[in-house]
Amino acid sequence: MGKRPKPAGISGPPGRSASGESLRIGVYVCHCGLNIDGSLDCQEVARFASTLDGVVLAKDSMYTCSNSGQEMIKADIREQGLNRVVVASCTPRLHEPTFRAACAEAGLNPYLFEMANIREHCSWVHLHDRKAATEKAKDLVKMAVARARLLEPQVETQVPITPKALVVGGGVAGIQASLDLAESGYQVYLVEKEASIGGRMAQIDKTFPTMDCSICILAPKMSEVGRHPKIELMTLSEVESVDGYIGNFRVRVRRRPRYVSRECTYCGDCAKECPQHAPNEFDCGLSTRKAIYSPFAQAVPATYLIDMNLCLNKHGIVACDRCLQACQHKCIDFSQKEEFLDLEVGTIIVCTGSDVYDPSSLTELGYGRFPNVITSLEFERLINAGGPTAGNLIRPSDKKVPRTVAFLQCIGSRSKRSNPYCSNICCMNTIKDALLIREHWPETKIYVFYIDIRAFGKGFEDLLQRARREGIVFIRGIPGEIIQDERTGNLKLIGENTLLSKLYQYEVDLAILSVGIEPRKDSAVVKRLLSLPSMADGFFMEAHPKLRPVDTPTGGIFLAGCAEGPKDIKDSVTQASAAASRANILMSKGKVTVEAITARIDPDLCTGCAACSRVCPYGAILVDPERKRAQVVEAACAGCGTCAPECRFGAIRMRHFSDLQILAQIDALAETAARRKILAFCCNWCSYAGADFSGVSRMQYPTEVRIVRTMCSGRVDPLFVEHAFSKGIAAVLVSGCHPGDCHYINANLQTEKRVQRLWKKMTRLGLDKDRLRLAWISAAEGLKFAREIQALQAVVAALSDEEIEKGIRAFSEKGQAA
Amino acid sequence: MKSHFDEQLLYECYECARCTGSCPAALAVEGFNPRNYLLTCLRMGLDAVVSDEKLWCCTTCHVCEDRCPQMLDVTDLLMSLMNEAARRGFIPDKVRAGSQMVLHTGRVVLVSKRASEMREKLGLGPLPEIPVEEVEGILEKTGLAGLLG
Repeated sequence: MGKRPKPAGISGPPGRSASGESLRIGVYVCHCGLNIDGSLDCQEVARFASTLDGVVLAKDSMYTCSNSGQEMIKADIREQGLNRVVVASCTPRLHEPTFRAACAEAGLNPYLFEMANIREHCSWVHLHDRKAATEKAKDLVKMAVARARLLEPQVETQVPITPKALVVGGGVAGIQASLDLAESGYQVYLVEKEASIGGRMAQIDKTFPTMDCSICILAPKMSEVGRHPKIELMTLSEVESVDGYIGNFRVRVRRRPRYVSRECTYCGDCAKECPQHAPNEFDCGLSTRKAIYSPFAQAVPATYLIDMNLCLNKHGIVACDRCLQACQHKCIDFSQKEEFLDLEVGTIIVCTGSDVYDPSSLTELGYGRFPNVITSLEFERLINAGGPTAGNLIRPSDKKVPRTVAFLQCIGSRSKRSNPYCSNICCMNTIKDALLIREHWPETKIYVFYIDIRAFGKGFEDLLQRARREGIVFIRGIPGEIIQDERTGNLKLIGENTLLSKLYQYEVDLAILSVGIEPRKDSAVVKRLLSLPSMADGFFMEAHPKLRPVDTPTGGIFLAGCAEGPKDIKDSVTQASAAASRANILMSKGKVTVEAITARIDPDLCTGCAACSRVCPYGAILVDPERKRAQVVEAACAGCGTCAPECRFGAIRMRHFSDLQILAQIDALAETAARRKILAFCCNWCSYAGADFSGVSRMQYPTEVRIVRTMCSGRVDPLFVEHAFSKGIAAVLVSGCHPGDCHYINANLQTEKRVQRLWKKMTRLGLDKDRLRLAWISAAEGLKFAREIQALQAVVAALSDEEIEKGIRAFSEKGQAA
Repeated sequence: MKSHFDEQLLYECYECARCTGSCPAALAVEGFNPRNYLLTCLRMGLDAVVSDEKLWCCTTCHVCEDRCPQMLDVTDLLMSLMNEAARRGFIPDKVRAGSQMVLHTGRVVLVSKRASEMREKLGLGPLPEIPVEEVEGILEKTGLAGLLG
């Protein structure tokens, strides 16, 4: 208790900054059209701001981010001699860089700029209470001004970028991204989990809407990857760990053994001799392969491999050497071992792709029970010249050519029982497949059972019209049930034609379930390794859905292909080129500017106890045991601030997120009606973004909350929480990324420990521990943020004045001493 | 109906017709169509549905509910429609007769002489007496007796 003295001399004499200069703060309250002014009174907020200590000028303007808005700020800095600028508008995650640049252009250090988020955190979430929203906006501005008074100029450092890229996943997106980057002259490491690159596109027969042969257009690109001098292709490999930061990632890759050396000529003599059979995964189990096999004819690298789970020689005992004997080039090597490769890269592109929905759980459709009910991916293999039937369409039960075929749409998509989203590709894929059947077996009767046909892309509607003209029957209404005729294996489809409001029963030879796309089963692993946020549906989230669609919130990491959401080949390729271009922009600069938010240690106060270095997720604090001093390695420090609360001597100063600045924000919000207010600490990457998301989604929640942004929840010093209670604030929310998703590796584990300690302390002091809440809120969980605030509001409503007083007494300095 | 259901949820129905396609009653009775009842309710109001006698063909097997991709409680919806129909006096004769039978005898089916003889032959004792007054009391309280008039 009372682990260190509370920082003294909070703001120096009134009207002056900590360094003693006379404060000249300019405040700009943005209307954002009606986005802000529609639900709160901007003029009134500006009037209020002009009364605050140190503020020499306060204006409201229509669009502060516009050119004219920026010019106004620049002119004021020059002409009015402003030395601090506060803009009350949208989230700093959007326009902080814009305004910082404007300040810098006018000669003001960009770190003397501060933002109050009165749009995402105020006007959009309190649409129906103008008075309360205006009061809240005033508070937010007051807090921003309080912080601005204590801002200090900072100098940013630059770190070099390693001009190498890692591409994770070798589907068409990964292939395109790798080629683009390699052609731009960068070394690329392409890591693929499977034995060959190619991904889903290699499995598909034709592509829509042009009906190109899929592998024919993909194979040349695959070989190019294989022979490109700038691409190091690693198959059977997975990323094991990633650390570092933008421009300087250290990646460890685990490569499983292939047991066949690169000298393999792909002759296939080995496989002929192999006695072990297994279902061929590439053909969706519709054919078999051997224990030594090649994934498919066009595989890159064109090298066989041994499936050691199937081979008789597992556990290192050679029980069968038929392949070894058959191989004339002596390429087989049972002694190969798993290896680990350490890479240093500047950028990472995530192209991990997607899985296909498994319809077994929809028992009414009989998939898995009735052999003639197949999925669309299985159909692709059946109709593919390189597939198990050499391109002859036959049905599984009796290997006869089906005369009537049905396609069932939206299987595993648009459903609360499976995946709620539209999988984007299934409509066009079915139309393409139907036309393929029509082309090769023109007598076939084809039915497509659909809910809505979504043919939105270039050339898509044309293809749909062609399918209609060619006699493919589109029936609106998904069959409720499929019944198999035990004798013939034929299928009876029962459903309702909703356009006629009449029941139908169709007997078909083959039913194809047009299955949707879902996130890969192991996407949680990738998510954890790279600290990526994902949407509720499991696909990775982009930094901004419109304007930064291939960036992730983590600097230097980009997305392409179905890992980001269901999409077709063209969109995957477009996105891959975009991601490669984004990575190229970073790497071509050669340097990246590191925000001046790193930790500094005051050597006079430091005792070398090493408590800070123990919690640093990056090992960025070195302690010299002889001199008893700790030192921060600036290039390795990411600025999370987890170390600062750990220091018992107040020796650590977080630049731009100092104790004094945060305490001043708390004081400012506690000045009026503290008893009803909720203080929320939100980490920049997840929970602040989550709060932004609830704003963007216009989710309404109680107006009593005021958010203080920290880079990481690990920055939240228990002292801040105690200070808030000592000022009579009703409740405090500490929120951060979900454990395992922390942007700073694992810094939020410290948050949890500290909050636990605080709860214990509150219980000991006889305080209601529900007044302090800990929540993990991801950037996609806007709704969760709103619910957390509602839950806290309920706690606040039930609080007695006595409880508030008790908190003030317990945590005020006098209370602490006693 | 609206007090029983979240109207917003009903609007989530995108007319895939899996409910009707799965419905054994729809297969047997032409014109009985759960999807259509839902849509008609939403677009044309209750009045357009409650007078339809076929509404009562639902066997409450709940298969529609099992298969609805939007997880709508279709059977519950039909039940509440039937309740509303009854409140407005639209009770099909057969349903009315059956209900009256329960009200007055406590049984759904009359015990015929033949059935009693068969029971005796099979060594089963006579059927227990039913406390008809108690049944009447219950149906009085639930309001069914009143609706039957």
